[in-house]
Amino acid sequence: MKHFRIPPTLHHLLFTVLFGVAVFLFFGLAYPHHLHYQEQYQLFLFDSNYVCEIVRQPGGVADLLGRFCTQFFLFAWVGAAIIALLLSTVQLLTLRLANYQSSIIHYPLFYGLSFVPSFLLWLFLLDENALLGSVWAVLLTQLAFCGLLRLPDRWMRRILIFVAFFLLYWIAFGGSHYYRIPNTFPTLFYAAWFSAMIIPLLMWLVVRGKKSENAQQQNNSCVPSVASGQRSSALTSHLISLTSYLLVVVVMGTFIWKNANFKAERVMQYDFMACHQQWNRILETVNAEKPNNQIGVTVQNLALAMHGMLADRLFNYNQNGIAGLLPDVQSDATSPMPTAEAFYQLGMIYVAQRTVFEAQEAILDFQKSGRCYKRLAQTNLIIGSYEVARKYLTALQKTLFYREWADETLPLLGNEEAIAKHPEYGRLRQCAYNNDFYFSDHVTPEMLESLYFSNTDNRMAYQYLLAYCLLTGDRDRFNLYYSQRGTDR
Amino acid sequence: MKKIHNIIIGLMGLLGLMGCTETVKDAKLEAVQPQIYPDYLGVTIPVNIAPLNFCMADETTQCIDAVVTDRHGHELHSQGDESVDFDLDDWHEMLGQNRGDSLSVTVSAKYDDGWHTYCPFSIYVSPDSIDYGICYRLIAPGYEVWSKMGIYERDLSCFDERALIENTQFEGCVNCHSFNRGNPADMSLHIRGPHGATLLRHSLGGDLQSLTAYNTKTDQTLGFCVYPYWHPSGRYIAYSTNATSQLFHSADPNRIEVFDTASDLQVYDVEKNELLLSPLLKQDSVYETFPVFSADGRSLYFCAARALLSSGEGTGVGPLDSLHYNLCRIDFDPATGSYGNRIDTIVDAEAQHKSVSFPRPSYDGRFLCYTLSDYGQFSIWHHEADLFLLNLSTGESRPMTEANSEDTESFHNWSTNSRWLVFSSRRDDGLFTRPYFCHVDANGVVGKAFMLP
Repeated sequence: MKHFRIPPTLHHLLFTVLFGVAVFLFFGLAYPHHLHYQEQYQLFLFDSNYVCEIVRQPGGVADLLGRFCTQFFLFAWVGAAIIALLLSTVQLLTLRLANYQSSIIHYPLFYGLSFVPSFLLWLFLLDENALLGSVWAVLLTQLAFCGLLRLPDRWMRRILIFVAFFLLYWIAFGGSHYYRIPNTFPTLFYAAWFSAMIIPLLMWLVVRGKKSENAQQQNNSCVPSVASGQRSSALTSHLISLTSYLLVVVVMGTFIWKNANFKAERVMQYDFMACHQQWNRILETVNAEKPNNQIGVTVQNLALAMHGMLADRLFNYNQNGIAGLLPDVQSDATSPMPTAEAFYQLGMIYVAQRTVFEAQEAILDFQKSGRCYKRLAQTNLIIGSYEVARKYLTALQKTLFYREWADETLPLLGNEEAIAKHPEYGRLRQCAYNNDFYFSDHVTPEMLESLYFSNTDNRMAYQYLLAYCLLTGDRDRFNLYYSQRGTDR
Repeated sequence: MKKIHNIIIGLMGLLGLMGCTETVKDAKLEAVQPQIYPDYLGVTIPVNIAPLNFCMADETTQCIDAVVTDRHGHELHSQGDESVDFDLDDWHEMLGQNRGDSLSVTVSAKYDDGWHTYCPFSIYVSPDSIDYGICYRLIAPGYEVWSKMGIYERDLSCFDERALIENTQFEGCVNCHSFNRGNPADMSLHIRGPHGATLLRHSLGGDLQSLTAYNTKTDQTLGFCVYPYWHPSGRYIAYSTNATSQLFHSADPNRIEVFDTASDLQVYDVEKNELLLSPLLKQDSVYETFPVFSADGRSLYFCAARALLSSGEGTGVGPLDSLHYNLCRIDFDPATGSYGNRIDTIVDAEAQHKSVSFPRPSYDGRFLCYTLSDYGQFSIWHHEADLFLLNLSTGESRPMTEANSEDTESFHNWSTNSRWLVFSSRRDDGLFTRPYFCHVDANGVVGKAFMLP
């Protein structure tokens, strides 16, 4: 008996491609910063210890594959292509499994349903805490079942199905690393996985029912009506396929658009631009639409300061009091990062280091972060903790996309002359505090004052100091610092 | 193209495809001993320690080869591209055959210009064995937020580590864990967070044990019990209660200052479920902390400092650097659970403008090891912190030069036979602590410290 008699027809393949293109465009155009967000909260190492640590956990293989793919999210279009490819493959495998008993052409209503698991996974991936390992878990399960169904020997197949359950538990489903927040049940993910299994099963049951019904009819009438019926209804079948496809696309597509968190995407965009020091792009963005969230305002003020316009144009933009300037560091992984960028650019290296370190430790699924490692290496290099910097750089050398930077930075360790000449590290060393004092969780005007008077060429510190006075309405201090600037010059 | 090259190199590394197996030939003889990491040159090790694997400190090495020989002509060989990795059974066999004797290690390293063979160095195998394992908390050296962490147990004779408790099992963190002279039958463990408690495991004799979670906060004490130490009888646990704060340095390698704004001492009677208080140990004008019982259980050692007037946030390092803890002692009667009526100053660190923390008496009653830093009590963040050894019979203190480094040496504990000391050191990079061991012989002579293999 031949099990996979008819491959997906050309128009079925076209629908899959259309679906893939839609996914690609969505993540590439509308959701790119969600992908950057995902990438920055993991550190994929080409290191056997790292790999073993993940793989030995239940569900570890899916998790590892997910993490491997996520490192490419540094480039949003590549990430979008990977997601599109994975979701399209899930759909094709659903179709392939459904085709097992009989071609779906005979049951065209089921065709649209083959897209449901992929759409549910797409819906799941809208959440910034959803991890790509979840898609791999579904995919690996489907691949395992496809393989099992190809086995001719029924007994062998039964034994292997039994074994496969345990194996799948270990490589794909035993773990809980599908969602970044621990102890949260990812309903959408399980719905996707369940649908990927249940839709083919449903079709098998319908086919079986039909077959026994036909056999009954043949016994009663002895008229071979099925084959001729198939030929005559080919066009109808395609139309029904198309209708079911469009129905699923419209319904699920609407769900996806409605559930997409474009507000979060905007916030992530600001964070991304600050991370990559795209100061011009930030100003273009805020000029087009003024941010109304704390991260956006913090990044906007940082970009203004980088252009030397903070004190002059502070009130041309939305402000959020001093919380929009240098907000208190919260114990989460996201909000401290733009503030840490401001601390870093100001020359408050110890504060920046502490903030980045805390942000990394706050990553909910206990992963480390390439972005944080890079900044920790930089801050340790600037303060002269070369061995600690080396630790981070050595780890980054085991990555794909931070390796080159780490290779370039390692020779700087201990090379005081090269650091002094470095456009970024040299400047920041000169801007650093030259007197030690204690500080707590709040940035005070005294901290900015001390920073400025440590090096009166630190224009950033001066602008932040003036902005602080303006935002708190402290005219006396403002006038004092303003006149001080004149004296220094 | 470079990316593809990176991927291939990475994948080869992942699969462990690259190795080094070749004969050391035409080696250039070096007149110096090798620079290896960890530094195991001339160390004294217990007979039951795991293999001392190491690599060259120089990162340009292509291959490393080591041959360990003894006086009986036995030889142990290992070679690797990054480090040597001795066979576990062969290593223990060799150590067992050389108890109380020295081993000689010859290291060769391959560079671009070929092999170099260095002068051999020795490793002395002490007849004093060490306990089967150590227990520690693994946590990134952070400030207020923590990621995955827990309490772990490591078998010292091999490389097996297992988690005893991890914060993935509950919401919160775990910190101070204490055993009675290294015996886990009596254990005190603090769990912090929404379901925080002090977990107390107490031996009831034989195989019987009780495991109880306590809320140690009372209306007569400052708060939860903090730093614990078991009485040798197992009936009492000395605890401090600390109102702890922290401030950050703006430009200092010490990065953070952890300090108390109030602290007292008390002893918990495990059998009666009572806290034994003394007005001498809860004075408002004095910060008392780090209580430990003497080996005979008749004295309570602790650190004490004059209380601060303010915390010092904002302007300069202020009064925190004037916080100097002395090592003090008070009598304790285990039969009645009563304290003496006088506090003696054993080490007057304040007079030297220094500060004592983490006193740990050896279980044989000979010594007391403590940390000395410039000020304060949280010496873990002080780069100048060093270990000192107090001879309890003569009252003399001396720095443990053989164990100390230019960076932080701090938290420490004795092995049950009081011949080995384990301590945390930041000598490797100035930030991450690693466990080091040193031998202390019958005369108090301290051997060179070595890192946990």
